[in-house]
Amino acid sequence: MQVFIAQILNGLSIGSVYVLLVTGFNLLLLVAMIIHFSYPQVVVFSMYIIWLVLKMTNNNLLLGILAGVSSAVLFNFISAPLFQKIMKNREEVDINATMVLSMAIGWIITDVLSHAFNNGLPIQFPEEITGSRPLFRIGLISILPGQVWALSIGIIVVSGFFILLYKTKAGRAFRAIAEDPAGARLVGIPLVKTGFQSYALSGVLGGLTAVLLAMLFHSASPGLGEQVSHKVLAVSIVAGLGNLTGGLVVGLALGILEALVQGYISGNWSNAIAFVVMLIVIMVKPKGLFGMKV
Amino acid sequence: MELNRTLVDEKKTPMLRVEELSVSYGQIHALEKVSIEVYPHEIVVLIGANGAGKTTLLSSILGVKAPTSGNVFFEGKKIDRVPVDRNVREGICLVPEGRGVFASMSVLDNLLLGAHHNLVNKDKNLARVYEWFPILKKRKDQVAKTLSGGERQMLAIARALMSAPKLIMVDEPSIGLAPIIVNDIFDILVMLNKEGYTVLLSEQNAFKALKCAHRGYVLETGTIALSGTSSLLLNDPGVKAAYLGA
Ligand SMILES: Nc1ncnc2c1ncn2[C@@H]1O[C@H](COP(=O)(O)OP(=O)(O)O)[C@@H](O)[C@H]1O
Ligand SMILES: [Mg+2]
Repeated sequence: MQVFIAQILNGLSIGSVYVLLVTGFNLLLLVAMIIHFSYPQVVVFSMYIIWLVLKMTNNNLLLGILAGVSSAVLFNFISAPLFQKIMKNREEVDINATMVLSMAIGWIITDVLSHAFNNGLPIQFPEEITGSRPLFRIGLISILPGQVWALSIGIIVVSGFFILLYKTKAGRAFRAIAEDPAGARLVGIPLVKTGFQSYALSGVLGGLTAVLLAMLFHSASPGLGEQVSHKVLAVSIVAGLGNLTGGLVVGLALGILEALVQGYISGNWSNAIAFVVMLIVIMVKPKGLFGMKV
Repeated sequence: MELNRTLVDEKKTPMLRVEELSVSYGQIHALEKVSIEVYPHEIVVLIGANGAGKTTLLSSILGVKAPTSGNVFFEGKKIDRVPVDRNVREGICLVPEGRGVFASMSVLDNLLLGAHHNLVNKDKNLARVYEWFPILKKRKDQVAKTLSGGERQMLAIARALMSAPKLIMVDEPSIGLAPIIVNDIFDILVMLNKEGYTVLLSEQNAFKALKCAHRGYVLETGTIALSGTSSLLLNDPGVKAAYLGA
């Protein structure tokens, strides 16, 4: 029972990271109309920025978090015009072209991280962000502050996002564009401006996710982004491409599944088992569990 | 003398002036040198068969489709090549063919989308729209896909009104609606016109449209074949034969 509770908690906290990543990915897909499957690489890039700023400021946590979030937003804004240009050139959304661009961005980040930071060695986050001692122990199990923080921040950010989506002017415009871009344009919603708002928001989500990842994993390596991006793409497809609620459910479910496999079978098999389960789901429901929204 | 001139000018100044507008989709020339004018407080109807170019003309006026040549002036300002959201802000709106409501969103969300650039006045505009369309108030929290065809058309019109427009363009509102409902919709357009809105309407349902419009243009394969007051068009033998089933 103790293992079970601990692994559920673990699963929820890593699951909330998946949820945030899938949400950011879906947002870009729905509103900016780009398939940015290297979005998790951008998040890992922000983890490196947080690490760097913590090192430079003698572990000033606030500055670190601020730098992480702004770097993700900035990165999105820099890459946005490239995506927009592709779409302008072809006069319509071109999923294939945006995928190639996203892939290029992913590899550039991975290469930069492997050569320009810490000699390509994995980076370790300081105790200031991960927490040093377990909050409490029950038998064999210890709950780390990072986990609790990650879970709480995850819940707050995800609820904040859904409130924004359903209760604000920008959120309404996001949903309208997601349902019918041409119709949204007709009623006077500025597509380019709203697209940029979605870049900014997915940047904020990405930066916060970087903070959560640092709290949970305590370390990062140049290859982390690629690993995570496979999972995020899989989650979004299994949930139903562009389905935000689906992403929420499936992201949490994947986190819990992985944690349970790690707790009861073996950590070495959690990725393989997670993908086998997702493979089965997608074979039964090719459009995803919750249906596509694009 | 000076004052007199401006008064006369103002009377003669159309709200909307489309000047020799040509629009094409690749090789297809959808509009060829089309010129129309709409004066303040008028209801003007564009009559034309399927494929005549009605939708193309209305969406080019709004700025959705850039023309290959010609000009569009709204209140004296040139507006072709101005982005759609700017034109909506300036007071032009389009109720699209097939209603174009956001089916998965609530009625209220649909209405607020119409007021996207104008949310400061949303309460005032909502109150007015609810007064004109009480059914929408009753259904405000329902998702739009649960509405009937007539209710959707009302929602599309109401959403357009939320943008505080001066010119309302309505693209074939009667399509797919029962005759009784069509009458209601035209009554609404006449009522809105009496409230001070200027209306540019496109229709295949020529008889009913001409009955409520002041003037009309007949569009045939991308060119204006005929224009004049509604009574003139209703009595024109060509129009009678082609559009009124007489
Ligand atoms: N998106 C499009 N691509 C190519 N041709 C189009 C497009 N839209 C309309 N057309 C063509 O332009 C002409 C006018 O169409 P349209 O403006 O929709 O007419 P109407 O609204 O009067 O039925 C038709 O010949 C139609 O086939
Ligand atoms: Mg049409």
